[in-house]
Amino acid sequence: MQIDLRTVTIEPVHQTFDHLARRFGDKPASRYQEGSYDLQAAENLHYRPTWDPDQALYDTGITRIVMADWHALKDPRQFYYNTYTVTRARQQDATEANFSFVESRGLVALLPPQLRTLALDLLVPLRHAAWGANQNNAFMCGYGYGVTFTQPCMYHAMDLLGIAQYLSRIGLLLGDTAALDAGKRAWMASPVWQPLRRYVEDSMAVRDPFELFVAQNVALDGLLYPLVYQRIVDDELASRGGSAVAMLTQFMSDWYEESSRWVDAVLKVAAAESGRNREVLAQWLDAWTRRAAAALLPVVAQALGPAADEIVAEQLAALAARTAKAGVAA
Amino acid sequence: MSVTARKPYIGVPRDSVANFNGRQIVYVSWDHHLLFASPFLICIEPQASFRELLQGPIAALIQADPDAAAIDWSMVEWLKSNRPWTPDPARSLSDNGIGHKDQIRFRTRGHNSLLPEASGTS
Amino acid sequence: MDVKAVPKKLGLKEKYRHLTRGLGWEPSYQTREALFPYAGYEGIRIHDWDRWEDPFRLTMDAYWKYQAEKERKFYAVIDAHAQNNGHLNITDARYLSALKIFLQAISPGEYAAHRGFARVGREFPGVGTQVACQMQAIDEIRHAQTQIHALSNYNRYYHGFHAFADARDRIWYTSVARSFFDDAMSAGPFEFMIAIGFSFEYVLTNLLFVPFMSGAAYNGDMATVTFGFSAQSDEARHMTLGLECIKFMLEQDPANVPIVQRWFDKWFWRGFRVLGLVSTMMDYMLPKRVMSWREAWEIYGVENGGALFADLARYGIRPPAGWEDAGKAIDHMSHQFMLGLYQWSFGTSFHSWIPSEEEMDWLAEKYPTTFERWYRPRWDHLRKLAAAGTPFKNFGLAKLCQCCQLPVVFTEPDDPTLSCHRELEYKQEKYHFCSDHCLRIFEDEAEKYVQAWLPMPQLFQAPLNGDVGAWMAWVGLKDGLDNGDFAGSPDQRNFEQWRRNATRNHREGEAQ
Repeated sequence: MQIDLRTVTIEPVHQTFDHLARRFGDKPASRYQEGSYDLQAAENLHYRPTWDPDQALYDTGITRIVMADWHALKDPRQFYYNTYTVTRARQQDATEANFSFVESRGLVALLPPQLRTLALDLLVPLRHAAWGANQNNAFMCGYGYGVTFTQPCMYHAMDLLGIAQYLSRIGLLLGDTAALDAGKRAWMASPVWQPLRRYVEDSMAVRDPFELFVAQNVALDGLLYPLVYQRIVDDELASRGGSAVAMLTQFMSDWYEESSRWVDAVLKVAAAESGRNREVLAQWLDAWTRRAAAALLPVVAQALGPAADEIVAEQLAALAARTAKAGVAA
Repeated sequence: MSVTARKPYIGVPRDSVANFNGRQIVYVSWDHHLLFASPFLICIEPQASFRELLQGPIAALIQADPDAAAIDWSMVEWLKSNRPWTPDPARSLSDNGIGHKDQIRFRTRGHNSLLPEASGTS
Repeated sequence: MDVKAVPKKLGLKEKYRHLTRGLGWEPSYQTREALFPYAGYEGIRIHDWDRWEDPFRLTMDAYWKYQAEKERKFYAVIDAHAQNNGHLNITDARYLSALKIFLQAISPGEYAAHRGFARVGREFPGVGTQVACQMQAIDEIRHAQTQIHALSNYNRYYHGFHAFADARDRIWYTSVARSFFDDAMSAGPFEFMIAIGFSFEYVLTNLLFVPFMSGAAYNGDMATVTFGFSAQSDEARHMTLGLECIKFMLEQDPANVPIVQRWFDKWFWRGFRVLGLVSTMMDYMLPKRVMSWREAWEIYGVENGGALFADLARYGIRPPAGWEDAGKAIDHMSHQFMLGLYQWSFGTSFHSWIPSEEEMDWLAEKYPTTFERWYRPRWDHLRKLAAAGTPFKNFGLAKLCQCCQLPVVFTEPDDPTLSCHRELEYKQEKYHFCSDHCLRIFEDEAEKYVQAWLPMPQLFQAPLNGDVGAWMAWVGLKDGLDNGDFAGSPDQRNFEQWRRNATRNHREGEAQ
C-alpha cells in the first residue's frame, strides 16, 4: 500500500535536542548548531592519556586562555561539513578553470623568464610552510576544547593541505619536478627561507593549542598571505605581466579573506572574555608577530628588493589594526 | 604489567568504599536462575546483618522467579569470591567478611522452573 | 627566450607523491622528538616512513569535489524525508529503539574518532600517514553530523532522542561505547590506529554497518539508509587505511609483532563487546528482520575474519585470543542482552518489549540449538508476569564489567546456565569482569582500568546518592515517555495514530 504521507499534519513533540534548547531556547535549531554544540565528551572521561597522564582526554587546562564556555568561540561562517565542502568544491571548480585557462592558452610560456623564476622562488618553498600550518591546525583541532573552536581548525588544516597542493601544482606547471626539488633545497638551506623555516619548526613544538592559533593563524598567516598574495603576486607580479600567476593563486587570496573572518571572531571573543585573556593574547601576539615579520622580510625582499622593509612594516601595522579591532593590542 | 606511558602512570580508583557515605556495594547472584540478567548490585551498610540483607533486598529482588517462594534458606549453599563459604545470618556483613564490592552467590538444589536442565545442579 | 619544453606528464602515483610526501622535511631547528613527541613511547619501531603505501591517492581538490557531490545528494534526500513525513514509512515505531541507541552511543563515537584522527594526523612523523589520518578525521565529523541531521527529524516526533548529548556522558549503557573510545584516545598513536583504524573499522565495521543499513532499508527508514550509503565510500577508505597501517607496523620490524598482537587481542575483544548490542538490534529490534545475528556473524565475522587472519599469519600474527569464545557466544548474546534491556527498561532512553509468539518462532528457527532450550522459557514467564499486570522490573541494577562496562549478562562459554563470574583484587580493591578476556585486558594495564567511570556504582555516590529520580533528571530521561516497555508507550500510540490518519486522508483523497 502506497501512502501519501504529506497529507498528515503532525504537531512535533520536541522542537530540538535538549542541549540546544538550553543554549538557544526551545525552537528548531540550525544544522550548524546541531552539528557543533556539545558534541565533544565533557564529563566522566574514563582514563588519563598515556601520552600525558597530567592531562585529561579533553582538557581546558592545557592552554593559558580561560573561557567560561568554549563553545562561545563560534565560526561566523557557520561551517559544518556540508557547507564547508560544498563551498570549497565550488571554489575548486573556479580554481580548476583558472589552471586550465592558463594551461590551455599557453600562458606559462608567455611569462617573462625572470617573472617565472621569481614566482617559482617565492611560491614553491611556501608549500612547506603551508604543510607546517596544516599540522598546526590539525593539532588545534585535536587538542583544543569545544567543537565550535576545534571544528573549523580541521577545515582550516585541510584547506592548508589544499593550498600546499595548489602551490605544488604551480611549481609543476611553471617548472616541472625540478622546481619542486629546487624549492625544497631553498626551504632547507637558502638563507632567504631559514628564518621562516625556523619559525614553522618552533611553532610546531608549541603544545598550547590557543598559543598555536595565535602563532600560526593570526601572526604568521596574518602577515604571509597579504604580503605574498596581495602585495607580491596580485600587485607586483600582475603589474609586470604575471597575471597568469595571480589567476593560479586566486584561491589563496579568496580563502584568506574568508577565513580571516573566523580567525578575527575567535580572537575577539577570547579577548572579550577577560583582562587576563587579553594580556596573554597580547603577549603571544607581540612575540610571534615580531618573529613572523622578521622571518618574512627576506622572503619579501627576494621579490621586492629594498622596498621590502617598508611593505612589511605597512603590513605589520595593518595586522596590528586588525587585531586591535578584535580587542587585542600587541 | 604496567601501563606503557610517557610519564609515571598511576590511576585513581573511582569506586573506593570511602565514596559511598558509609555504605558499600555487595553483588549477589542466584546460580542457574537467569531470569535476572546480571548479578544484583546492592548498596548497603556493612553493619547490617546478613539476615537483613537476605530478608530485605535479596528476598525482594528475587520474587519474580517462580522458584523463589520455595527456597529453604537453611539448605542454601553459599559462595564468596567463587569459593564455598558459610555466612552467619545473625552477624553483620563485615563480621561475615563481606567487604566492599564482594560478590556472593547462592545455590539451591530444587526444581528449576525456567532452566529445567539445571534442576538439582549446584 | 628560453622556452622550456612542455613539462612531462606525471603518472598519478608520482604526482600524488609530489603533492603529499614532497611536502615534508627533516627538521633541524627542533629535534624530531620535539615535533613528534608521542611517536616513540609505545615501542613500535619504524625505520622508514617512506615505505608507507598510501592506501588511497586523494588530493584535496578531488576530495572536496567527490564529497560535495555526496553531501548535496544526502541533504536533498533528508530534506525531502522531513518534508514528506518520511518517518511514517517505517515498519513500526519499535524500529526506533535501534536508532535511539545509535544516536546516543555510536554518533558520539564518530565524533571521538574525528578528534582522535586529528591527533594522530598530527603526531605521526610521516606525511603519507598524516594525510590519510587527517582525511579520516574530517570524514568522521561528517559521519557524526550526517547522523545527527538525519535523526533530528525523528527527534521532532518521537521520544528518546532529545537528550543524546547528556546521555553520552551520563546514562549507563552509553559508557560501553564511551569507554571504548576513551580507551583508544588515551592510548598512543599506534595503538589508536589498531583500535579504531584496524579493529573497529576493518574487522568489525561490516558487522555494524551492513546489518544496520540493510535493517534500515527493510524497515522503511530512508533517512538512515541515506547516511549509510553516503558514508560507504568513506568507510571503504577507512578500512583500507586500517589494514595498511597494521601491515606497515608488522613489516617495519619483527619486534613490533608481539606488541601488535597484544593490541589485536585487546581491541578485537573490546570491539566485539561494544558491537554486541547489534546482535539485539538484528534479532529483536527490527520489526522486519534482515538476517539473524548468527547469519551475519557467519558472513562478516567468520568468512571475512578467516580470510584476514590467513593474510596476517605470514607476519606471525595469530587470530585474536577471544576469537573462540566470541564464536561460542554468538548463539546466546542477543537473547542475553534483550532480556537485560527489557528488565532494566525503566532506566533506558529507548523502549524494549517481549517478542511476539511469531517472533519467537523465528528466533527458534534461527537459533535451533539455544533459543527453545534456554531462552524461550524466560520470555514465556515474562509474558505471563506482564499479562498478570505485574511486569517484571529488575530494580537490583546490574554488576558491570570493569573493562567493557557491560552489565555482566554473559554465561560461562561452555555453560549457558551459569553466569560468568570473574574477579580479581588489585591494590586492596575488588574488580569484576564479564569474561576471561576483559579480565586479561585489565591485568595488562590495571592502572588504566581502575579509573573506569562505572555508571551503576556512581549512582550511589555524590551527588546522586542513590536517588533514582535525580538520576533520571541528570541523564535527561523523561519517565513514562522515553523509557519502559514499548507496549503502551507514547511513541507506539502516536505512530499508530498518525499512520491511521495518513491512511484515512489518503482514502478520502481517493474518493474525491
